[in-house]
Amino acid sequence: MAAPVLSVRDLTTVIRTEGIEFDVVRGVSFDMYPNEILGLVGESGCGKTMTALSVMGLIPTPAARIAGGAVLFGERNLVSLPEREMREVRGDDISMIFQDPLTSLDPMFSIGHLLNEVIRRHRPVSRSEADAMALQALVEVELPDPETRMNQYPHQLSGGMRQRVMIAMALMLDPDILIADEPTTALDVTVQAQILDRLLGQQRRRGMSMLLITHDLGVVAAVADRVAVMYSGEIVEQAPVEQLFSDPQHPYTQGLLRAVPQTRHQRGALHTIPGRVPPPQFVPPGCPFSPRCSQALVRCWEEHPELVSENGRHLRCFNPQPLTPA
Amino acid sequence: MRYLASRTVYMLVILAISSVAVFYAIRLSGGDATAARLPASATEADRETLREVLGLNDPIYQQYFTYMGRLLSGDLGNSLTNNALISKMVIEHGRNSIILGAAAFLLVFLVGVPLGMLASVRRNTFMDQGIMSLSVAGMAVPNFWLALLSIWLFASVLGWLPSAGCCEPRQLILPAIVLAAEGTALTVRMTRSAMLENLDSDWVRTLRAGGLSEARVIGKHVFRNALIPIISLAGLRIGQIVGYALIVEVIFGWPGLGQVLVNAVLRRDYPVAQFFSLVLVVMVVLGNWLADLGYLAANPRLRRT
Repeated sequence: MAAPVLSVRDLTTVIRTEGIEFDVVRGVSFDMYPNEILGLVGESGCGKTMTALSVMGLIPTPAARIAGGAVLFGERNLVSLPEREMREVRGDDISMIFQDPLTSLDPMFSIGHLLNEVIRRHRPVSRSEADAMALQALVEVELPDPETRMNQYPHQLSGGMRQRVMIAMALMLDPDILIADEPTTALDVTVQAQILDRLLGQQRRRGMSMLLITHDLGVVAAVADRVAVMYSGEIVEQAPVEQLFSDPQHPYTQGLLRAVPQTRHQRGALHTIPGRVPPPQFVPPGCPFSPRCSQALVRCWEEHPELVSENGRHLRCFNPQPLTPA
Repeated sequence: MRYLASRTVYMLVILAISSVAVFYAIRLSGGDATAARLPASATEADRETLREVLGLNDPIYQQYFTYMGRLLSGDLGNSLTNNALISKMVIEHGRNSIILGAAAFLLVFLVGVPLGMLASVRRNTFMDQGIMSLSVAGMAVPNFWLALLSIWLFASVLGWLPSAGCCEPRQLILPAIVLAAEGTALTVRMTRSAMLENLDSDWVRTLRAGGLSEARVIGKHVFRNALIPIISLAGLRIGQIVGYALIVEVIFGWPGLGQVLVNAVLRRDYPVAQFFSLVLVVMVVLGNWLADLGYLAANPRLRRT
């Protein structure tokens, strides 16, 4: 395999509220390779978005800070990069798409103005050259009637169109890495497929590396090359996509897969994982999943499992069992 | 465009209603309008003749239309006390009022908006708390008291500025500051909260993710969004300034519309009181209409539907 384009090592992010600090991202490590999609899945509140924002250096300050670890991008460690240099990276080398396209564009400026501003921030081009680049980017994401859209304001576009604009903005400077945080969650189901299709087409064409954050396992199964499963601020299992879906090892991964409704199964109660993700200030001392785990041992309550790597799979569990059909 | 049309109709309706209200209120104030014109020794028959001549025996609605008809044809009448042409008084004193009002209005925004921005970007620091405390004081202190206090401090004790008079720049400073104080305090608070609200928006993160600097994100984008509520309340600030001008002009001896109006009311000079009241109403309503236009211009979501 080629050298990773981005390596996250032992990343730990803490949030401080009312004088108490607690970890929201705890020792997260993963590699991203060119021309590859890494899926990052997990329930709401498990730290997926905070992981992405930590990589981008966009965690909400001063409430949050990166307490340890490294984000290695080429020769540089983004965690310790001065803000001025980090701004050069953002939007140019690494860009990000957010969940809610309806609120993610400044309502006071036209689409063309917003794209133009980011282009001219990073490239020494004239206003009209930047406009041409912006228009080209809108054409590539197949935004209907792109010339008109350039002069329109965000409120004049539908959610799907606005997400195309977001994608165009993220891709127009040809980044090495794209972080897509739930890019289709807020959209209609019919639009979701189109947007995902656009995103994938662009990713392949550019040989770009993409971190796809989602809680939709169907999306991950369809598009990701590798999958990392996050729980309570940690990666609990990471494996190539076929392996993860055919042979999930971590009881949490198994629970997630069982919870996907399947039309083939007979009707009845949907499968759920009992309990919920512990809030970061109340993470149990042993394995954070142990209170919800059906196969927890005494050891799981007392000791924190390390991430063990074997045959390209990383697993954080003392007692993995083969998946039993639900 | 529909917004503009509806605001314009709204303005005209308010103008019509308030002209009726002003006209009626002056007549409610009681007293015999002939007393100011005729000597105390005049007979009841003389008074009755004068009432007939002045049209005071006509039904009040007819008096209203007669009066408005004269106004529209440019005949504003004369003062009862010194027979001066009201049209001349308006031009002379109106100029003074506009100078003072414009100075106060500029102060409100040129001081209030930057201070509010500063407080928002330095949120929860000593600077923020200092600015906010000052603005609480600005809202809480009644302006007549602030006027007296500032005259005492800057004119009597320190002797830096004249206590009253017109119309040198030095004489404008104190009344303009006093007139602007409350509006500035309110603008500081509103700017701060509008900035903070927009700073939390999702699109701020998008701009940061595009690599834009904080100065760009806050100074251009967040500020541009925060400007909308600030402009939309500019009309209120105009009303406040016009209203407070009555007090401030009297205290500082600034010969503006407010001072003339107060004197006219005290001397029961009805034609002057009536017309100057109308002028103040027109200024407030027109100011609000202009603020609506500004709101429309600043907000792309209203420009095209």
